[in-house]
This record gives sequence, structure tokens and C-alpha cells, in this order.
Amino acid sequence: MDILEISHVSKSFGSNKVIDDLSFSVPEHSVFGFIGKNGAGKTTTMKMVLGLLKADEGEIFVNGEKVSFGQNHTNRFIGYLPDVPEFYGFMTPMEYLMMCGEITGMPGKQVKEKSAELLQLVGLAEAKKRIRGFSRGMKQRMGIAQALLNSPRLLICDEPTSALDPIGRKEILDILHSVKKHTTVIFSTHILSDVERICDRIAFLHEGSSVRSRTLEEIRGIRRGDGIVVEFLKQEEASHFLELYGDGAQGEGTMVTVYDRAGNAMDRIMEVLLYNHISVQRIERLEPTLEDLFLEVAAK
Amino acid sequence: MRQLIAFTKKEFLEQCRTGKLLLFVIIFALFGIMNPAIAKLTPWMMDMMSEQFAESGMQIMAVEVDALTSWAQFYKNMPMALIILLILFCGIFTTEYHKGTLINVVTKGMKRWKIFIAKLGVMVIVWTLGFLMSYGITYAYNAYFWDNSVAHNIAAAAGCFYLLGLWLISVLGMASVFCNSAGSVMLVVGAAFAVSYLLSLFPAVKEYMPSYLLQSTGLLAGLSEGADFLWAAAVTAMLIVSGCMISVTMFNKKNL
Repeated sequence: MDILEISHVSKSFGSNKVIDDLSFSVPEHSVFGFIGKNGAGKTTTMKMVLGLLKADEGEIFVNGEKVSFGQNHTNRFIGYLPDVPEFYGFMTPMEYLMMCGEITGMPGKQVKEKSAELLQLVGLAEAKKRIRGFSRGMKQRMGIAQALLNSPRLLICDEPTSALDPIGRKEILDILHSVKKHTTVIFSTHILSDVERICDRIAFLHEGSSVRSRTLEEIRGIRRGDGIVVEFLKQEEASHFLELYGDGAQGEGTMVTVYDRAGNAMDRIMEVLLYNHISVQRIERLEPTLEDLFLEVAAK
Repeated sequence: MRQLIAFTKKEFLEQCRTGKLLLFVIIFALFGIMNPAIAKLTPWMMDMMSEQFAESGMQIMAVEVDALTSWAQFYKNMPMALIILLILFCGIFTTEYHKGTLINVVTKGMKRWKIFIAKLGVMVIVWTLGFLMSYGITYAYNAYFWDNSVAHNIAAAAGCFYLLGLWLISVLGMASVFCNSAGSVMLVVGAAFAVSYLLSLFPAVKEYMPSYLLQSTGLLAGLSEGADFLWAAAVTAMLIVSGCMISVTMFNKKNL
């Protein structure tokens, strides 16, 4: 069953059409990546799902019930983590979760247990200070805790990782991955590697309309043509490597780019470097830009 | 009901922890004590300055003060206390719009009208308790120093001013639903009072205007009767109720 269904939704702000005839659906118990550049309309879409913005056209269904703007009843199925989560700074995490629990109508004892459990999960159990003194990463984790409080069927996260350092990002992604068993997770991002780490389905949002959603395997299949950049310490080493490697490599200064068509380029590069005792500054797999990937996905 | 209690609790916690509640207690206590104090000190101050006055040809006779002098001070000071209260509360909604803190609460299934009522309720409770405190302090000192019986209709006069405060708080609530910045909220509150004040310059509608309630000081000296303010009080009550109804309806459709 689809937990979320968006059908032919459009939204304009003034004369600026942000979402144009957007349709996609999210099956239950998946981690759904919602990818798009900044300004592609990700946040707008999520806010419409939550009934915080009114869709100009089209319909949205959560768990089979229609979303209405304003006083939205389908929000009882949803946990939401905004892109910049803000809480009442004068409260402690426990107080905030207790308040949220009372608002959702959970029994008092259950709220206490669940709050303690969630603070443990997101690593804030020891944080007794008020939320005002929290770092960005702590607020993000606090946001996940509050979003999961009412055991939602659908967890919507708006760019949960974009402002965090690599360690913070990994922590958040691990938490999202760990809740997958009970909850369907939708999360928007413009960072492809995050999606690859935890998502099993992906939809691309481009200029307000999505390209049909795909599984991660399909995306991986499309992405096989990635390049690898090798940076050398000296230019002579670079040209020496170019001669030895042969086909498929292009050099410029101390940099050599290898296009991995056969899928074994990394092994071959290592082999050449090792047997010829050439040291390097760095080897890096090139991330395709969102634009490139979108065009590839759209073309297939 | 639990939602309403939870959110009201949060509002009070906020007032406590941000130090606003303490500020209100100090302000209303101070404004309560000042009235009898000023009345009590007036003869002494006049005496101090009588020499200066004498030089400019004025002669100060014995100055008589009683409870009425103190009550007159009360009605000079309370508008100031009310203005401070309105200024301190003008961001009660808009700060939450700016920070986006209401989004979390609403997506948790909080009924929007309860948010509005909780916030309005906190303002009304602070105003009620603060007003009662100032009133009580002034009343007690007046009874101790002089005799409150020289003033007529003390409670009715106070009720009129209290009602005016309620009306301005309801205007603040309504303005907060439509405006997104604390400044514009304050502007709307000021404008609402100005309109009422300007309209009361026309004798035909004067007695129906909320700002007419300010004239209730006339009750104390026995210059007017409680019945004179019934229309103004009824119109004000109607404005409060209809304002709240409009606010709740519009708040349900507001982009947070």
C-alpha cells in the first residue's frame, strides 16, 4: 500500500510556478529519497503534504486520507523534521518531548517512557541543559526525537543532513536507517551520497516536476560511467602514468581523469601505481552533479 | 483539553523563564504603590516648593489629599502599565512565526484554535492578575491612609478600565493573526485605539466607543453614573467576542 500519494499537484507563489503537475507515490516501509537542487520545490512539496501550504491544483493522500490545508487531520500519521528545526529554547529536551506527547494525546506514562527511549536513540539522554544552548547537530537530533514521538507511519525529513559535518551526517543517517522497520521515511536532500547510503527508492524533483521514482539499483545502473580523478605530486609523474595506463585516461597538469567504462578502472589504476612505484596526492571518485544525473535519468 | 493545558503550561513556563512574569509583578506592584505614595507625598512636595512658588507670586494654601487623589493617580498610571503590557506581548505570536516553532506543534496535531486561545488566555490572565494587584494595593493603602468611602463606584470605574484592557488585548491577538511582525501588530493596536478615540470626538457615537470607558474616572467623583457606560461596555464586549471569532477562523487558514 502507498503511504503517500501525490497526484497532479501544482503550486505557484505569485507568478512563479514552483511545483508543476507533480505526481509520485511512496510505498510503505521504504526509505524514500527526494532529490533536487536548492529551490527545486522540495520544501514546498513537503509543506503541502503537511497541510501547511495550500496546493493550487491536485490532491495529496496520506495513508489513504485526503490532506486538507490548515487544520489537517492526516498529520496524526506524520512525523515532521523541518530543515531548520526550532524549538522552545527555554525548555529542556525532556520538557519539550513531554509537551509534544501531551499534544498528540499519548497517555502520560507512555510519553515519559517513549521520550526517554527516543532521547537515548538520538544520543541526547545526557543533555539536561535547555535547548537554547544546543548546537545545530543537537537540534537536528532533537528534531528527529520529536518527529518520532507519536510513532508516525510516515516520517518526513527536510534536508536533515545538509548543514552538518560528515560525522553528524552519518549519525543522522544511521538514526533514520534504524527507524525504517516501523516507519516509512521520506527525506529530501541535494547530497547524492546520503541517498545512496540509506534510500531504497528515489524521486528526482527538477524544476517543479518529478521524473518517475526509481529504485536505488536502477540509479546505480545509470551511474556506472563515473570518472576517477588521480592527482600526482609532479607533472612528470602524471605524464608517466598516462603512458602506462593507456586508453581512457586524460591528463591536465598534475591531474589525470580516468573514465570507468568497464567498471574495473580503480583496480587498474592501483595496479599501475603499485607496480611502478608512483605516489599520488589523492585518488577520488567523481560525484556526478545532480544536473548530470537528472539528465541521465530523464533520458532513460 | 489536554492540548490546551499543555500549551498554556508552555506559555506560562515561557513567561517565567524569560523573566517576563517577574517584570509584570514588579511593574504592577510598583504602579499600585505609586498611587497612594504620590498622593501622600503631594502636600510635602508642595511645601518644599512653596518658596519657589512664592517668588513667582503664587501662594500655596494647605493641600488637601484623600483617597480620591490616590484614585486619580491610579487612572493616570494604569494606562502606562497597560501600554507596557501590550508592548511586552506584541511578539507573542510573531516570534513563533519567525522561528517556525509553531510548525512542530501544528504537525503534532495541535488544534490551531487552541494555540490562539492559549496565548490569548495567558495575556488575559496576566492582565487580570496584574490589574487586581495594582487595584488591591492602591485600595488597601487608600483604606489605611484615608477612607475609600469618599470615592463612589470604585469597582465599576475599575471594571471599565479593565474591560478596555481586555479589548486592546483582543485587538493585539487579532492583529497577530494577520501581521507577521511585532512592529505591525503594535501599530494596529495603536491604530485601533486611535480610531476609537477619534470617533468619540463625535457626540453622536461617543458613548458607544471603547475609548469612552476611559472617562469612567468621572464615576469616582460622582460626576457620572455606572449606567452611562453600559453602551460603551456592551459595544466593547461585542468587539472582543467578534474579534476573537474572526481571529480563530483566520488563524485556521494562516500560512505558518
